[in-house]
Amino acid sequence: MSSGTGPVNPGAGGLAAALAVVQAPLRARTRRELLFCLVEVPLGLALIAAPVALVVLALVWRFVLRGVGGGGPSPGVVSLGVSFLLLLLLVIMIPRIGREFGRTHRALAASLLAARVGEPAAPRRGHGPGRLLAPLRDGLGWRCAAYQLVKLPVLVVECYAVFSAAVGVANLTYPFWWPLFRNHAPGTHLGPVDVLTPFGVFHVATFAGTWAALAVGTAMVLAAPWIARAGAAADVWLMRGMLGPGRLAQRVADLEQTRALAVEDSAALLRRLERDLHDGAQIRLATLAMNLGLAREKLGEEADPQVRELVESAHQGAKDALVELRNLARGIHPPALDNGLADALATLAASSPLPVDLDTALPQRPAPAIETIAYFCAAELLANAAKHSQASRVAIGLAETGPGGALVLTVSDDGQGGADPVRGSGLSGLVQRARTVDGRVEIASPVGGPTRVTVTLPMHI
Amino acid sequence: MSASQPAGTATRSLRVVIAEDAALFREGLARLLLDRGHEVVAAVGDAGALLAAVAEHRPDVAVADIRMPPTHTDEGLRAAIELRAGYPGTGVLVLSQYIETRYAARLLEGNAAGVGYLLKDRVADVAEFADALARVAAGGTALDPEVVSQLVRTSRHAQGVATLTPRERDVVALMAEGRSNAGIAAALVVSAGVVEKHVASIFGKLGLPPSEADNRRVLAVLRYLGP
Repeated sequence: MSSGTGPVNPGAGGLAAALAVVQAPLRARTRRELLFCLVEVPLGLALIAAPVALVVLALVWRFVLRGVGGGGPSPGVVSLGVSFLLLLLLVIMIPRIGREFGRTHRALAASLLAARVGEPAAPRRGHGPGRLLAPLRDGLGWRCAAYQLVKLPVLVVECYAVFSAAVGVANLTYPFWWPLFRNHAPGTHLGPVDVLTPFGVFHVATFAGTWAALAVGTAMVLAAPWIARAGAAADVWLMRGMLGPGRLAQRVADLEQTRALAVEDSAALLRRLERDLHDGAQIRLATLAMNLGLAREKLGEEADPQVRELVESAHQGAKDALVELRNLARGIHPPALDNGLADALATLAASSPLPVDLDTALPQRPAPAIETIAYFCAAELLANAAKHSQASRVAIGLAETGPGGALVLTVSDDGQGGADPVRGSGLSGLVQRARTVDGRVEIASPVGGPTRVTVTLPMHI
Repeated sequence: MSASQPAGTATRSLRVVIAEDAALFREGLARLLLDRGHEVVAAVGDAGALLAAVAEHRPDVAVADIRMPPTHTDEGLRAAIELRAGYPGTGVLVLSQYIETRYAARLLEGNAAGVGYLLKDRVADVAEFADALARVAAGGTALDPEVVSQLVRTSRHAQGVATLTPRERDVVALMAEGRSNAGIAAALVVSAGVVEKHVASIFGKLGLPPSEADNRRVLAVLRYLGP
């Protein structure tokens, strides 16, 4: 020990490192990393092997055609045409194949290395005649295919890892089988035995030489885990960069998720706030008003007029406060929403000064936060119609469209039109509210009317 | 206003079951009813206990909150509808902090006898609340003015309602709340004869069959206004 006072004991550190090196080949992690390298090697070569296979196929095709012979266009032209078509097909399919391979690589990394690589966005579907060539525009697919090429150096490292482990173990066995198989009669001439190493081949001709093979084997077995680890780590790094969704796309996905949580959370918070008001302040105030009402009755005609006046004003104050509190709570979260949009909109319509036609049947309920947004949009639009449109009737409709599940709220009136989101803060607030869940608001309100506002929201966040 | 009214049915001692999950309000209500000479045979905190208490005590009237455990949405209302079907002799007065149009429609479905739907605020006007409770117990109707105004707004006969004079509309609203001619007269501070003339005119304009009995008259008006 060079120093007993230092904070770090280099001797112990060295010992621990040595122990780690010796134990590494036996660890489960090493087994998984080696297995990963073992599977990655043929998989990595597959995409490169594919064009080779295609060329072979084309040659075979040409051979068959030549065998058939006969009339028609010359076999050479047909063969060239077929080869060209096959090549075109292959080029078109590269991004799709790249994606499929990418999926396999990611699954391998997830199951063997516990390394999660996010899934890239799905390819866009083409329309019309361009549909056949749509894969060519799939940038992410091309990137996945490029990974197969870029990873070639990593593939070499992975190859080395597998080689070191397998051949290293084989080299360890030389001293054990040598006496069993090299026990020929003296004088028999035997050639030397090859020993494979990462740096070439050497020959062993004597039993003593097998110990050299053992030593090389030991070194290879001890080195294999670290080569495998380096190869796997490099591969995962490359996968994250090329097979994942990309940093920007990942960020978008993260933000979408956290935004959905925030929207849901705020809806739940408002719901809880309303419930707390209902069970707390509103109940206390109602009881207070009731007790004041009882007190007012008990005072009777002969009580001090001043006292009576005070009690009466307190009674009235409590009742007024109840009304205010109820309107406040309803503005926070209308309780009928717990029973669905249809019930809540019915009450909203009934308290509107304009007659309202409702068509609000939905086959299934949207998410609570979506119901809340749709309700407040309808409330805002109804209030706008009552205030500005000079309409005689309003119609509120709810519908669910498409397999993707969009909720469509329409509020239309027969008023004078001219609603403009730029001037009306209410309408721009509505647009903002819908945008928090990627909803859309379309306003059709020509001067002279009628006005029709369509709010499209996802059914679920 | 109606405190000065002749008490009428309100003097009868009623057997009442209360269902309300907020203990503070439940106890306050029980004290108020005791004070008015009624007997609170059970005061419970959820819909299941309400159904059990009515089955056991067969009260004259059950007072139920709409939002009760476990879901705090409409279990009181569902229990009230069940009670109306199962115990025609028991009046059901539903109390809530909100008036919901659909709730009123469900509660009044088919029949408005022995039923009431009031905001909790109305309990503060003790005498009027006592009158409403007595009306419901006697098979009459007690609807919150807010329920009535919502019914009037959403009525499919909006055009018929539009032909009424403002005074007649006031009378229709009070009728729909479940009040008798005397009650309407007291509320509008006019004589019973004036009210009778208004009522006859209203029935003529809306094309309703004339009826002497208060309850049938209320039913006719509600059916007319009903959603």
